[in-house]
Amino acid sequence: MSNGPGELTVKDVQHSYGTGKIKVPVLYDINVHIDNREFVALCGTSGSGKSTLLSLMAGLTRPDAGQIHINGEEISRYNENELCLFRRRCMGFVFQSFNLLPNLTALENVELPLIFAGESVKRRRQRAADMLAMVGLDGRTGHKPNELSGGQQQRVSIARALVNNPSIVLADEPTGNLDSVTEKEILQLMRQMNREHGTTFVIVTHDTEVANQSDRVIHLQDGRVVQKDTTMIHAT
Amino acid sequence: MKLLDSLRIVWRNLWRMKLRTILTSVGVMIGTAAIVAMISLSLGLRENAVKSLENFGNLTEMDVQPAYMSPDGQTPIPPEQMKKLNYQAVQELKQIEGIESVIPVKSLQGGAQIKLGRREGDIQLMGIDVHESRSSKSDEIEKGTYLTGSANEIVVTYEMPRMMRDVEKERREARKRNASGAGSDPMMQGGYPPYGMEGGGSDAATVDMVGKTATLVINRQFMVDNEPKFEKKEIRVRVVGQLAKSDGMSRFGGNMAFVPLEMINELNKWLNPEGMNQGFDPYGGMQPQQKRTRSRTEQEEVIFDSITVKVGSREQVEPTLERVQRIGFEIYSPARALKEINQFFFVVQLILGGIAAISLLVASIGIINTMIMSILERTREIGIMKVIGATVYNIRWLFLIESGFIGLIGGISGLGLAWGAVQLLNYVARSNPEFSNVLGGGGPGGPEGIQQLAVVPLWLAGFAVGFAFLIGILAGIFPAFRASRLSPLQAIRSE
Repeated sequence: MSNGPGELTVKDVQHSYGTGKIKVPVLYDINVHIDNREFVALCGTSGSGKSTLLSLMAGLTRPDAGQIHINGEEISRYNENELCLFRRRCMGFVFQSFNLLPNLTALENVELPLIFAGESVKRRRQRAADMLAMVGLDGRTGHKPNELSGGQQQRVSIARALVNNPSIVLADEPTGNLDSVTEKEILQLMRQMNREHGTTFVIVTHDTEVANQSDRVIHLQDGRVVQKDTTMIHAT
Repeated sequence: MKLLDSLRIVWRNLWRMKLRTILTSVGVMIGTAAIVAMISLSLGLRENAVKSLENFGNLTEMDVQPAYMSPDGQTPIPPEQMKKLNYQAVQELKQIEGIESVIPVKSLQGGAQIKLGRREGDIQLMGIDVHESRSSKSDEIEKGTYLTGSANEIVVTYEMPRMMRDVEKERREARKRNASGAGSDPMMQGGYPPYGMEGGGSDAATVDMVGKTATLVINRQFMVDNEPKFEKKEIRVRVVGQLAKSDGMSRFGGNMAFVPLEMINELNKWLNPEGMNQGFDPYGGMQPQQKRTRSRTEQEEVIFDSITVKVGSREQVEPTLERVQRIGFEIYSPARALKEINQFFFVVQLILGGIAAISLLVASIGIINTMIMSILERTREIGIMKVIGATVYNIRWLFLIESGFIGLIGGISGLGLAWGAVQLLNYVARSNPEFSNVLGGGGPGGPEGIQQLAVVPLWLAGFAVGFAFLIGILAGIFPAFRASRLSPLQAIRSE
């Protein structure tokens, strides 16, 4: 199976939590394909397995069975270090709780992925400043996360996710901690990045507003992908 | 990830938990300070012991003598198989690795006087190989130059000009005393003034001999038809240099002078044509048993009084000793004690260093504890870093460097503490004469005050800081692996 930059394919993926005899299945034979430049929402109720699926796509955890292909690479076969390198090269992440390092300024937080990539100081500072300007925070580069509002922190988080120019951004409830006004702003921003940079966005949400903004909604229920009317579309 | 960036991140993390960093470093500091202080004290004591040994002479210059016992020390060597201090011995010694120069010395086998203007004095002439001795003896020259290799040159000791008697003055005074009836003066009776009183017994009567031409007077006595006959030989020599004041333990002091070896050989032949190896007589070679048989033409082999070998450094003394013993010679030098001194103080260093190292071991456990606590506190941070692109190796590297930095900070501050303690100890030692007596600041050469009871050489400073850094790194291995193995998913979900 081969797919191009920004494409993501999940094939026959199963996953369960726990070890030994006590295993709790979470995902059953998931098959999903996301095209390049798509803005996709993964929706479902709590415990439906949407965050687990996102973690599998990100290579943060390994599937019990099945394959995950991103940019034509089967990441489910990678070891941990290869996964780290792959994430650095091809992926960006946005979290519900922002996950910014509290002791670093906004600029330094955005700069961090480029530090690990070995970018020169001058180039990475410039790049991080440009990204912050793009998300509307050019006057806040020296502020630490606790000096920023929730919306601003999430903007920093988006800037950090995009700073290494990834082909896919995975977002886990990016608007979950924001008020409705800020939620709209953040969604617009991500949509803008999707359009302008051609970055594929996969967003885990249970928010209908986010789902409405998406090109496509993938519904999960009890560990299976279902249609909006709960009809299973990929189950085998 | 660039090194500078990793150092910057590490420094920021350490700075963020200043108090913990300082407290953990204090453990390393105490351990490092203890090791440095203990070893520097041991090194200082060894240095003082070696200095005491050096009062007996230059340790890199050693006298060679024929061995009386085989190298195993069990079997005596028959006299006919014993080595001789001759030219062959010189050549054999020159072949030995580590020996820089071989200096044969032969004294004049008779007495001699030196005359310079109206002054004169008795002199012991020592023939020396000019070429071989130049490198070591040139440093001992205080005035003028060393022997250049030209014939009829002479280098006198520091004491020699002070031992020259003003003959005219003595005669004048003797006449005066004679006229006034003071006939009990030994000078008047043709004797010599008491030793050390020559030349008026003070520096005021010193004559500058360097650069001047003097006359050596040598007398020989021989028997013809059972009648003693006397003959005198006068040689014009140029005093080219004067040695510096000796420390009192040198073999070469007093009324001595160095002349080229060839000159001494010639003079000895003249003094003793039969080649009789007579004992040294500083006052004129007046042994009546000396017989002269002019018909004898056979040249007797030259046997040197001593052969001095010079090695490049103190470290080469021990191996050279063994090599010299292997070819049938024995070395009589205070340097022989160096081996025992080095061995003893090596053991002392091991024991003291080992005791101090225990505190560093305890400190390393402190580092491990701190780093594990740090991982627990920063689990989420580690998870975030792994998610946004830090590799397993990046995380390990950061934690190893962080741990190493704690060791480094402790090491540097420990070195500072030890250096301060050593300075204090040395100050106390210098200001308290008791230390000199107890710790052997002097040997027979006269006790000198202890300058340094403990020394912190550069290598020890470097070793201490490096070792503390290494301890930090080693202590960081387990926490670093633990941090790098954290699941990024679990880590970012942790609070």
